[in-house]
Amino acid sequence: MNLVWKLLRQHISIPQFAGFFFANLVGMTIILLGMQFYIDTQAIYETEDTFMKADYLIINKKISSMTTLTGKSSAFTLPEVQDLEGQEFVERIGLFTSSAYDVNASFRLDQTTSFSTEMFFESVPDEFVDVKSDDWRYEQGSREVPIILPRNYLDLYNFGYAQSRNMPKLSEGILSAISLNIVLSGGGMRDEYEGRIVGFSTRLNTILVPQVFMDWANEYYAGSKTKTPTRLIVEVNNPTDERITTYLQDNNYETDKDKLDASKQTFVLRIIVAIVMAVGLVITILAFYILMLSVYLLVEKNSTKLENLLLIGYSPAKVSKPYQLLTLMLNVLVLIIAFVAMTAVRNVYLEMFETFFPDFEAPRVLHTYILGIGLLFIVSVLNIFAIKSKVMSIWKRKD
Amino acid sequence: MNTIILKHTLPKVFAQVADLQSEVWNHEVTFEKDKLYLVEANSGTGKSSLCSYIFGYRKDYEGQILFDGTDIARFSTRQWVDIRKKSLSLLWQELRLFPELTALENVLIKNKLTNHQTLNQIDEWFELLGIADRKQAKIGRMSFGQQQRVALIRALCQPFDFIFVDEPISHLDDTNSKIVGDLLVSEAKRQGAGVIVTSIGKHIELNYDKVLKL
Repeated sequence: MNLVWKLLRQHISIPQFAGFFFANLVGMTIILLGMQFYIDTQAIYETEDTFMKADYLIINKKISSMTTLTGKSSAFTLPEVQDLEGQEFVERIGLFTSSAYDVNASFRLDQTTSFSTEMFFESVPDEFVDVKSDDWRYEQGSREVPIILPRNYLDLYNFGYAQSRNMPKLSEGILSAISLNIVLSGGGMRDEYEGRIVGFSTRLNTILVPQVFMDWANEYYAGSKTKTPTRLIVEVNNPTDERITTYLQDNNYETDKDKLDASKQTFVLRIIVAIVMAVGLVITILAFYILMLSVYLLVEKNSTKLENLLLIGYSPAKVSKPYQLLTLMLNVLVLIIAFVAMTAVRNVYLEMFETFFPDFEAPRVLHTYILGIGLLFIVSVLNIFAIKSKVMSIWKRKD
Repeated sequence: MNTIILKHTLPKVFAQVADLQSEVWNHEVTFEKDKLYLVEANSGTGKSSLCSYIFGYRKDYEGQILFDGTDIARFSTRQWVDIRKKSLSLLWQELRLFPELTALENVLIKNKLTNHQTLNQIDEWFELLGIADRKQAKIGRMSFGQQQRVALIRALCQPFDFIFVDEPISHLDDTNSKIVGDLLVSEAKRQGAGVIVTSIGKHIELNYDKVLKL
């Protein structure tokens, strides 16, 4: 055995180092878990809408009992659209086109179960839809139509219908593989099409088809009887601009509040996670303090040995090394076990996430690893520096 | 290193003493390589202080101490480590051995740092000094005389230009004192090193080049 270590391990207090070890382990695990939980939950919010940019707003007129009674149209008139287009906060506007023909859709889940429903289509100009262009293409004459569905439909099925009937839950992936049978009729014609689901949206509460298909079908089945739009999709340069809210209020318009709610939730979540991580950090700092006290005490108890080593020609760096290695090894061990603990806890909650969000894809843990290793680095550098300076104080015979 | 010069060196505690009678303190004294010196002292005249000053362990003195003309007060940590490993050896009066280690381990902890002596050589010295059977004994369980001999072996486990031995034979009989003296001189001669022996009474009988009264 290394003789220097044989000397310097005298007076090492196991209870003190165990105390540090567990305190630091708890603190570190809390920090890492907080960070990873935040990343994971953030991913839930982010994966929800893959194809609509954040700075798109969908605007419609408020529907009150008065509008229903008076029969006043909820559609936007041309001057209204032009007025909105003239606002400074607006980058561009897209009109929703709705179908002027009948739509009936059905799909078969297994041998015995099939669903069938009357429905409608809407479209917005292609530049507002952020889907890979190959998926969102309709060739005229083709029987295959790409469709975007509201996520509500899927949630309604998964958490309502499937839950109550003990039926399997469906993920976006599974549903995308199922094709819908679509029957379009109007103007005395009736044709079958195959609907292919390319995505789900939380923000677009409508069944979306490509603009090209919509224009062609409206012309073909309804003789171009296009309706005035009841909803507008607006690209704004800054969604948090207060003038938007004011303008919408003045004109009695509404916009999707989902995004706002989601950001509120993220905000609250962020605060909670920050508090939890701060607690973890405090525990880690206290653990660091325990370690420093233990090492100081150890150096103090072994100061005669350290001094004699220095006097027979050992350098302060050589004499500090055993203690530096000891703390470094403890820190690394704590980090590794904290990573393991974090992964174990994470696996438990990921399982829950996956039950509630079939499409949830767990993000990578890289950032948490970087944070952990970064903390390890900072703490170890401080440890190493503190031990060296303590040994130097013996060298200089300062008490 | 070829010379050690004390230039009006004086322990601060002696600064107020009016009639200091010393051939070392507050004088200019030069120690040269390859020579034998005896510093004789009475108790309380700063014999151990002198060793501590020259070894860079204490700095509570006035005046200067020069190694080859350089003031040692300016040496860095790295330089001191180097000097203690390669140029200057000191056998402390209080020995500074590690009671937790065995006699052999106490020697090896130094020799592993310097890689200066072979294990055979170390064995021979244990044999020569009559403590071969105590090699594996913990220092704490050995007599002071035995410990003095272990400390001497440790002091020889490094290259040096000067070796200071602070009362090396205070607890040894005449036979062992003679062996210690011979070993010390032969090792110093082999390396061409200077030897400075301090004593408060009983001292090794050697052919000293100079005897100084502290």
